[in-house]
Amino acid sequence: MTLSQGEYQAIIDDQSKVITADIVWRRSRQILSAMEFRVNINNEEGYPIFLRGWYNPDSGKLSYSIIHRNVGRIYGLDLGAEHRNPDGRLIGETHKNYWWEGDHDKWAYSPEDITETWNNPIGVWEQFCDEVNLNHSGRMRPPIHPGRQLV
Amino acid sequence: MNASEICASISPSLPALFQCEAAPREGVRVRTPLLFPDGGIVDVFVVAKKNGYVVTDYGDALGWLGQHSVSNRLSKNQQSMVKDVCQTLRLELTQGQLTRSKVRLNDLAVAVVEVAQAVVRVSDIWFTMRSRSTQPTAEAVDKWLRTKSIRFARDVQIQGRSRRWRIDFETQAYGQTSLVRLLTTRAKGATRRMVEHAVAGWVDMRNLRESERGLTLVSLFDDTKDVWSESDFRQLEIHSEIAKWSQREQFNRILTMG
Repeated sequence: MTLSQGEYQAIIDDQSKVITADIVWRRSRQILSAMEFRVNINNEEGYPIFLRGWYNPDSGKLSYSIIHRNVGRIYGLDLGAEHRNPDGRLIGETHKNYWWEGDHDKWAYSPEDITETWNNPIGVWEQFCDEVNLNHSGRMRPPIHPGRQLV
Repeated sequence: MNASEICASISPSLPALFQCEAAPREGVRVRTPLLFPDGGIVDVFVVAKKNGYVVTDYGDALGWLGQHSVSNRLSKNQQSMVKDVCQTLRLELTQGQLTRSKVRLNDLAVAVVEVAQAVVRVSDIWFTMRSRSTQPTAEAVDKWLRTKSIRFARDVQIQGRSRRWRIDFETQAYGQTSLVRLLTTRAKGATRRMVEHAVAGWVDMRNLRESERGLTLVSLFDDTKDVWSESDFRQLEIHSEIAKWSQREQFNRILTMG
């Protein structure tokens, strides 16, 4: 089943979305070279959404994804990888995927508000939160991979 | 070999659509023309080691799955699928990375293509991941249409003037075709956007109603939850027939008599 476009847009527009916890990156259980986190997104309407981050310094990729518990990823920011839209157009290495009814998150665009680079997860995080109306009242700690220098 | 030399040695063997450049940390990144299910471009990495080259995805395939699924873990069945991919394409799954090691220079291009194929196959496991229904009312409508012996198709894509629209149900009864959009939500805050989206859709598909006789556009409100206002109905009644799920006989009349 799918999420309606109207409901998706309401989630994005909702100004009550907040993450209260500090964000702590942990080494991925599956991919030992990567780091990840997961936090709940609290909101007044009770939308069942949470946020997942993924950072892989070896492949040069950073992603922040809003995941709806019933349908999967509905919105995401990807850095370090290009994207091709269903109409064939190539979108650059910094792009945002968004939900489009019937197409899941296959459509992406190049956002002008993300100017930080993939290897600055905290800087990117602050820019990401602004556009998606997400208030983070905690702090994101820098990802430090055990056995590696500060990334 | 440095990154430039590695690229120079493998590029002639790769099709023109593969692009080689230095990787962020070590080795080279080969950007392929292959896509993840969401349209993301697949990258493969080549690293020179003492006993040959390592060709790997650096964990991007499983990382992609984790970013697109509710659970970050693969079921046993899905893990078996990953193992099957590795077996077919002669790869190892090492610390979450799809890898072929000890690759000779002459075999690099083939290894790059096969690791890229493995990334695509593993990411396609996404299609086996179930999502819970967000619309139990849609299932109820489905069931009701069957009991009424009204022929229908679900999740139909209809081309409007400017774009395609997803319609929840397309029904056929007594020579009449109806396009039914179901408006259902528990969140009062979502209603405005849902109504606006429905209005935009019906306006864009107005040409269909004008060109096809016997076509009815129907906005079906799930009014089992008290989230809708009179204004929501009024906005949509200009562009479509209004039906309410609590008044099924009226909905039946709209579908069968126009």
